[in-house]
Amino acid sequence: MSARLIELISASVTYHSGPMWARRTVEAVHKVSIEVQPGEIVGMVGESGSGKTTVGKLCLGVLQPTVGKVIFDGHSPIDRSSRRGQMAVVLQHPEWALNPRLKVGMSVAEPLSIQGGVASREKTRRIEEALTMVGLDAGFAQRYPHELSGGQRQRMAIARALITRPRFVVFDEAVSALDVSIQTQVLNLIKQLQAEGGFASLFISHDLAATRYVADRIVVMRAGEIVEQAPVREFYERPSHPYSQALFDTIA
Amino acid sequence: MTPLLSIEDLAIEYVTRRGVVRALDEARLSLMEPSVIGIVGESGSGKSTMGLAIGRLLPRFANRLHGDLKLEGNSVFDANDESIRCLRRKRLGFVFQDPMTALDPTMKVGRQLVYAGGDSFGQNEALDLLARVGLPDQARVASSYPHQLSGGMAQRVVIALAIARQPALLIADEPTASLDASLRDHILDLLVSLHTAMNTGVILLSHELRVILRHCERVAVMYAGRVVEDGKTSVVFASPAHPYTLALLAAAPGRERPGEMLQPIPGVPPVLSGRVEGCGFAPRCRFAAERCQVERPIARLFANRTVLCHHSERVLDGAQKKDTAR
Amino acid sequence: MRILKGLSAFYLNDRLTGAAGLALVVLVLMGVFGSMLPLGDPTAIGVGPRLGPPTGELPLGTDELGRSYLPRVVQGIRVTFLIASIAVMLTAALGTLIGMMSAYVRGWVDALIMRLADVMFAFPALILGLLVAALIGPGDVSVVTVITAATLPLFIRVVRAVTLSLAERGFVVAAEVAGASRMRVMIVHLLPNITGAVLVQLTYALSVGMLIESGLSFLGLGIQPPYASLGSLLRTGAVYLTIAPWMVFSSGVVLSLAIMSVNLVGDGLRDMLDPLRGRSLR
Repeated sequence: MSARLIELISASVTYHSGPMWARRTVEAVHKVSIEVQPGEIVGMVGESGSGKTTVGKLCLGVLQPTVGKVIFDGHSPIDRSSRRGQMAVVLQHPEWALNPRLKVGMSVAEPLSIQGGVASREKTRRIEEALTMVGLDAGFAQRYPHELSGGQRQRMAIARALITRPRFVVFDEAVSALDVSIQTQVLNLIKQLQAEGGFASLFISHDLAATRYVADRIVVMRAGEIVEQAPVREFYERPSHPYSQALFDTIA
Repeated sequence: MTPLLSIEDLAIEYVTRRGVVRALDEARLSLMEPSVIGIVGESGSGKSTMGLAIGRLLPRFANRLHGDLKLEGNSVFDANDESIRCLRRKRLGFVFQDPMTALDPTMKVGRQLVYAGGDSFGQNEALDLLARVGLPDQARVASSYPHQLSGGMAQRVVIALAIARQPALLIADEPTASLDASLRDHILDLLVSLHTAMNTGVILLSHELRVILRHCERVAVMYAGRVVEDGKTSVVFASPAHPYTLALLAAAPGRERPGEMLQPIPGVPPVLSGRVEGCGFAPRCRFAAERCQVERPIARLFANRTVLCHHSERVLDGAQKKDTAR
Repeated sequence: MRILKGLSAFYLNDRLTGAAGLALVVLVLMGVFGSMLPLGDPTAIGVGPRLGPPTGELPLGTDELGRSYLPRVVQGIRVTFLIASIAVMLTAALGTLIGMMSAYVRGWVDALIMRLADVMFAFPALILGLLVAALIGPGDVSVVTVITAATLPLFIRVVRAVTLSLAERGFVVAAEVAGASRMRVMIVHLLPNITGAVLVQLTYALSVGMLIESGLSFLGLGIQPPYASLGSLLRTGAVYLTIAPWMVFSSGVVLSLAIMSVNLVGDGLRDMLDPLRGRSLR
């Protein structure tokens, strides 16, 4: 078994659209090779359309590459059973993060219900544990999503993501829709939980400032390709590639 | 001399099914002459409400409780329907976040510009306007529909529409939030250049501090429906005199050293249901004292800016100490 | 509980919708309890003179066989409403299932279903009615079939659109990533959030259904005597329009009111569920 947790080997994703006689081909991701080691946070930075979300989906196994391979802990391709309990995702929009019909506690426990084999009392205990872990009172479990603020909903989404103690979590623009003062709260939370729980993570964002704050290593994407990969230190000093430099300059 | 814009103790509330929400709690702002001012605030600060109030563009369920807003000496809230429409048409320009919802999807761009420009505004003037906002190939853009343009180009068209009648004041509410970072500075530079070129006042609303720092000479920081600090950007950001400004600058990523922990602002921004007795920021403020719970801060001139705080001296001291310690 | 609160809220917000809602409730009650009302026997021949005008005892007059018209109209609403409701509810269930699966499974199955729905949608209901009546004979079964065929594509389309937008949302993707089976995602996460949209379409489909039923019965392809639906009443009433106008008048007005109230309730429901409410300027 390889030491790498997730590995993309020269993966490409091509989309076809339009009618048969006027086919358009778009390559969302072109020959991307990435590794994620257990316990490391890889930050992925790029503009909209750069392919970073597509790479996230490849790593999670919800999207299969048109060409190339994706390996998770020795498994390839990644299917539902290899993913169960091992992976999680936190997406951008807090207003859609939780099922509006379910009490928040049920939403948070959903990965446990999916995994199966967890008794109801144990489930309640794990829900409480998860809520406390993200800094929310256990009583919140009885509320409905519309009673929570954006920041609270994102925290719930994080609690849900971590309840099965997964080995890999993808954060896709997870803090982009939050106010600055709340954003930092959630970024600190992610850093702290990762230090305690030891999960590996892919932190995808268009915001270099937020990404370099949490990541160990940064991958810069542009137009479906990787433009630069370097330890985060370089993104505090000066990155090498001109595109990375342009991004760097916007936060100076 | 009549100020360009004068917002005097404006209080506005929204009446919703779940109760009353106070969006502006006696907000004050004035622009003496056309200049570029940035308004910084998070959700619930009231900045968007204030921006919309300038054109009396608030929804039906918004009530003005007291205070007034005067544009070039004319009260916006007391104006009759005809005068307010005239104001919106001729003296104001608005640029909002999403260009695609601001443009009519069924009309070609050129026609929308001619329509916005009014009488004696024809195709030639429309093309000139497109050139003025930095669009190359004006003829092609003018004959396109909005969905055929990219986000950046569409936003430029929106700006062109807003300045078609040479307004006295341009209000831009998060104009670059839906655009890529690479385009952001260009669009903002354009907005600021309009101030120089046409002597138009520009009010830029944003939650991003670096955007304001880069493009606006003056900044007004809003929290809980009031303008809590107002002064030159370089002065305010370098040494803030209000605890919220100080905390906001410390919490935003971008200025920290590698490995340094950021200090978030504890708690959440308030949702007001009425006038605040005391200071709106007190629950989250590390300088808060007894006085802050009961006594509403009054705007005062302090260290070259207007600030709404009982403890500005300590705040300024604290900021300066932190700087020298670095 | 939330539904009741919502309903009472929109009555207070919009009187027209409230009035329409009330009318709809009356309709439903008539549909369920109408036959028990002491309004007379709709099938009793010779109770009054033939084609007699409205009097104190016979409020809506009599028809060509001397039957009291009031209970006939009441039975008419009942039949029209019941048939349309049953048909529409069956269609809603079927359409929701197909639409949801089509959107979730995607690929060529989805494309095929959409094209079939388009074909069904393009077919005029009355022509379809003639076809079905020719095949299986006129009657309530053929009416239900036609209503189903006419309204099924509506449900499939709407449910498919809602499902497509739901499928992108955080909580659905999170469930998929956590390893949920497609069935689980559909039952726990998609279905409960589709019901709002389905409800709105249900009211619209109901008005379409009532129109189709009346139209087919008017042509003689729907409800057969001695039963009466508003359509068949209009059919016989039309013959005696110049002599006994109260027949067409009463059944016509009742049909119009019924359809209008259902439409208004549908509009009200749609507005209530619309997140952009209240955005007009002062």
